[in-house]
Amino acid sequence: MANEIRIDPKLLAEFITLNKNILEAPNLAQSLEEINLEVTPYEVVHSEDKVRLLHFSPLADQQMKTPLVIAYALVNRFHIFDIHPKKSWIRNLLTQGVDVYLIDWGTPTQINQHEGFDDYVNGYMDNCIDFVRKESSSDKISLQGYCTGGTLSTVYTSLYPKKIKNLILTSPIIDGRRDSTVVSNLAKHMDVDKLVDTVGNMPPELMYYVFSILKPFEQGMEKYLNFFKNIHNKEYVENFIRVEKWVNDTPPIPGELYRQWIKDVYQDNLLINNNMYVGGKQISLKNITVPLLTQVAVGDHLVSPECSMPIHYAVSSDDKTLKIYPTGHVGMIASSFSQKKVLPEFVQWLSERSEKK
Amino acid sequence: MSIPPDLKKSLADYKHTSLFWTDLLFLMSNKQQTITATGPFRKFAVTAKKLSTETIEMNEDMTEFNSRLTAYYKQLADTWNEAQKEYSRKVPELPNDIENMEASKRIWIDMFENYFTKLFDSSEFAENFGKLVTSELEIAKHWNNMTAALLESANMPTKKDMDEVYQELHSLRKRIAKLEKIADKEVT
Repeated sequence: MANEIRIDPKLLAEFITLNKNILEAPNLAQSLEEINLEVTPYEVVHSEDKVRLLHFSPLADQQMKTPLVIAYALVNRFHIFDIHPKKSWIRNLLTQGVDVYLIDWGTPTQINQHEGFDDYVNGYMDNCIDFVRKESSSDKISLQGYCTGGTLSTVYTSLYPKKIKNLILTSPIIDGRRDSTVVSNLAKHMDVDKLVDTVGNMPPELMYYVFSILKPFEQGMEKYLNFFKNIHNKEYVENFIRVEKWVNDTPPIPGELYRQWIKDVYQDNLLINNNMYVGGKQISLKNITVPLLTQVAVGDHLVSPECSMPIHYAVSSDDKTLKIYPTGHVGMIASSFSQKKVLPEFVQWLSERSEKK
Repeated sequence: MSIPPDLKKSLADYKHTSLFWTDLLFLMSNKQQTITATGPFRKFAVTAKKLSTETIEMNEDMTEFNSRLTAYYKQLADTWNEAQKEYSRKVPELPNDIENMEASKRIWIDMFENYFTKLFDSSEFAENFGKLVTSELEIAKHWNNMTAALLESANMPTKKDMDEVYQELHSLRKRIAKLEKIADKEVT
């Protein structure tokens, strides 16, 4: 017959398998609510309002006396640093003898809407770092900042260079003008004053929107098709659900902090030009003289390498290293690649510059 | 895409007429209400006027919002059509069997991803999106004002009142932190 539709039997078989997998999925995968993202044990050693300082329990004899404080980003929660035992940044550091602390910014509410860079850097961050210095009997600590945590860590080190032994910046947001990502494009055209004055904090919905347009077809369609195709692969499914839970847990960002971040870093580009003011003090990147390790990812579509790399050239440090990796924003800290390549290089760099026990 | 001048004029006329009658009706009924009601009823009359004024003003912002939203969807639809056209041009070249299904799916995704990333990277998109959010915030502002009017009439704190409390708490916390640091220094 001329109008007969011919379907490849293999194609039909694949379609049937996919449907079968979709039906079986609820029996094979946990729901987001059922997953607990806390992997490595820790103790909350200090807290202030919603901010908590976590101290991770050692998994090996500590080799380095200088503790490492990780300033997590303001977007999503810290769990990506410890998303899965096999891909955990924190667990890897602990097994290599690093004493790890992490600042968890918590989930701000409307009461925190007036908190800005000053409160975060001169308040929360400084108090956490002072606590670690006292508890570990170390005058100086190593500080790692990831993403927006990198921006905060840069500002902190410029203001308190005497408290920092080593600075590690992982995909930091530094030079907004050079950032070629969609995030930066939207940030540059946003009436941030109106947003903050009207709604207070930056609503998570806006962040979800930005995530959704990053790679809409790969992330919005193919990712889920692959999930159903691999529904019988236990490890794949567990990892998928964990990352999805993390992606969908975005707290609001305090209004004043968001206002200053968008204006000073993306719109007016004040940070890289040494014209940003925090708590009445001018932030000069030239004040940063400590050993600096900058880690950037070529495939980073949230913070482009061009946005992060200028810090390497802007500081006064004699000892500075720039590492460029063939991965993405999350791949840099939570992937097999980061376990094999990024972390060993990171720990070697840190160990050469830290006090030994 | 902005509001056409003709529509802008008729909106302005509508707004003026509506505000005029709202004001006049309020003034005309004001005297009687003042005499007959000194408590919540008078408050309710004032609130009702505020609510209708906000609603009238919100209409103008709704028009701006709709126009930005239309432009936003147009950008998405145009990009989809362009990507689909290019994919359709490529389809006859692709072998039609299961082995190549994965490859052709990859081509489809890459093609659409490229077109849409180009759109999201463009200043035209970001500019319209920024204005879309701004117009939505304008509507939110009217909504906040209306809620505030209702809360005020019930003698309850408004968002503005709460913001003042938050601001005060924030500066108090800062002062305490500063004093604690001074005290710590004196002790050591």
